[in-house]
Amino acid sequence: MEVWYHNENPYPFVPPDVLDCADSVRASLPNKYCDPQIAADLFEETFDEFMLCDERGINVVAIEHHAGINSLFGANPLVLGILARQIRKVRILSMGTLISLRPDPVRVAEEYATADVISRGRLDIGFVKSGASEMASNNANPVTNIERYWEAIDLVTKALTFQEGPFSWEGKHYTHRHVNIWPRPWQQPHPPLWAATGDPETAREVGRRGMVNVLVLRGEEGTRRAWSAYRQAREEAGLPEVMTDHFAYAALVYVGATHEEGVEIGSKLLWFLNTSLKMAPQYAQFLPGATPPHFAPQVYRTASGPDTPAKGPTDGSRAQQAQANKPAAPAILNVGGLTNIDTAQAMARGILFAGSPATVYQQIMDFYRKVGGFGHLVMIGRSGFMTHAEAEKGIRLFARDVLPRLKEIAPVTPP
Amino acid sequence: MNDIEAAVGERLSVEDIELEVIRRGQGRPVLLLHGLHTVDPQAPFLDLLGRRAEVIVPSHPGFGHSERPADFDTVYDLVHLYLDVLEALPHERVSLVGLSFGGWLAAEIAAACSHRIDRLVLVDAFGIKISDRETPDILDVFNTSPQEVQQHSWHDPEKWTPDFNALSDDEIVVHARNWDALCLYGWQPYMYNPQLKHWLRRIRRPTLVLWGASDGIVPPSYGRAYSALIPGSCFDVIAEAGHHPEIEQPEAFVDRVAAFLEE
Repeated sequence: MEVWYHNENPYPFVPPDVLDCADSVRASLPNKYCDPQIAADLFEETFDEFMLCDERGINVVAIEHHAGINSLFGANPLVLGILARQIRKVRILSMGTLISLRPDPVRVAEEYATADVISRGRLDIGFVKSGASEMASNNANPVTNIERYWEAIDLVTKALTFQEGPFSWEGKHYTHRHVNIWPRPWQQPHPPLWAATGDPETAREVGRRGMVNVLVLRGEEGTRRAWSAYRQAREEAGLPEVMTDHFAYAALVYVGATHEEGVEIGSKLLWFLNTSLKMAPQYAQFLPGATPPHFAPQVYRTASGPDTPAKGPTDGSRAQQAQANKPAAPAILNVGGLTNIDTAQAMARGILFAGSPATVYQQIMDFYRKVGGFGHLVMIGRSGFMTHAEAEKGIRLFARDVLPRLKEIAPVTPP
Repeated sequence: MNDIEAAVGERLSVEDIELEVIRRGQGRPVLLLHGLHTVDPQAPFLDLLGRRAEVIVPSHPGFGHSERPADFDTVYDLVHLYLDVLEALPHERVSLVGLSFGGWLAAEIAAACSHRIDRLVLVDAFGIKISDRETPDILDVFNTSPQEVQQHSWHDPEKWTPDFNALSDDEIVVHARNWDALCLYGWQPYMYNPQLKHWLRRIRRPTLVLWGASDGIVPPSYGRAYSALIPGSCFDVIAEAGHHPEIEQPEAFVDRVAAFLEE
């Protein structure tokens, strides 16, 4: 099994009263609350963590999220460019430039090919479907997001692989008449492609394309469902079975010296779910295209959600009451109940693996067996108020006592 | 034609596209193009206007119960569809009433095809850019909290803000389809065509630009500027109405529109 370290580089240092009053901690929270000096420290710490991983044999992941406390990695290609040069041994996964937000996928292909060449072939390319507040932050039409996603992947893939250019692309969402990127990628025919999705319909297409399907915090049931859709779609299309190296699972992971310490510090990772997901309804359940209309009655009428912002009319009107009853997180996450999850629940559901080296290994392997196996573990090893020192301690312990045992697990054909 | 039940579920076919349509009344033909949402068949203004004209109210593809053909996803498609509708209707000229987003369509259609239009009414219409590049003319209904959108939509939000708990499943499904379709067509540039302003001069038919005095989605000043770009058009406001004067003030709305159509 390959292990990948993931730190979204969040910015948790916004006063709690500001966060409590804000209807969303993404997209609309003014950037006056982001102190560039603190941000610079956070970047430095995060890059240091990545370099520690490099030293200890853990691959690294650079993600992209925009305009919020959950991540300062809005400019993925810049982060990737730094990693491509500074990380010398392990592989680097861009997960990813949010492809459906970018007006020209050819430029993205150029950035990826450059990073692959600089790193001498250590790049993996991840495509994330995006959505929610990212649509507002990037002026991206949410209704056609998935169409752009697939067309952009097609165009990036062709730009990375076509060597007799220039070629012309006149698609529905992208036109580029003269595509011929230099350099071409180091890896042939192209770097490994990943796709982050949990919805079975998208997983089916990911399966037909044979990409690595990474599931983020989906728990047992959601993970099994997506991977079974992946495999079934391949079978229906007459494509060969894939091994477990086509499946990746991303969880909150922390290893302490003792089980108690691992759980205590690891619990800090839940900030990601409890605080950084707060989103206004216009970015969530009322985002056009976010919910198939036939599900709308259920979603629009959804009651309760204790983390709901108390903003708006305060006159006790029906409008106010209706607003107070609307959940603040994306429907999909609310349905899973992730936003108010506690440590015990997160551990029981395979969302948090925390403890001593031995108990974390056990938790990972229990989950591994429950979902039929996976070849990549993405460990979200720092979030919220976990300190840099704590994160590095966790990385060291994981690398010393858990990683070697996971490395022994070779890809197999899922049962 | 005044039987509401009978009118629901009626279709209007144009080539291979079938639209849900509401029809009311008799007399001078009026094609009414809906705005952010489809028209509720029980909206009082329909019957009131139906006493003065033959009203034809299609749901745009993707809205209401109208299917949206594959790759039909731009205002360009909608405008050409309604040019087809104008040709298909058994009248030499039809008056066009466009509400909000439908007002944008009506302005485009009238600029392209004045000779099939009798009279034009634009009601709290989108479609053009008036202010400078850092001043949005039209409230971003997608990136603004639903509550704030409602506050800006109505003269009396307390009375008119929809309560999803009181709506039927079908009404909510329609609401969601309308929202998706509106976003598809109008996301960017947000609710306007940068070129349209230059071609409004081609509208050579009597035109009324009518506005809810309390419209907080797109203000009356925008309506005045819109009217100034359409030669010979007149501008008027409906008091105590927001973005949907046809709903908040049906009598005043119908009186003003019908009087103009009958001029």
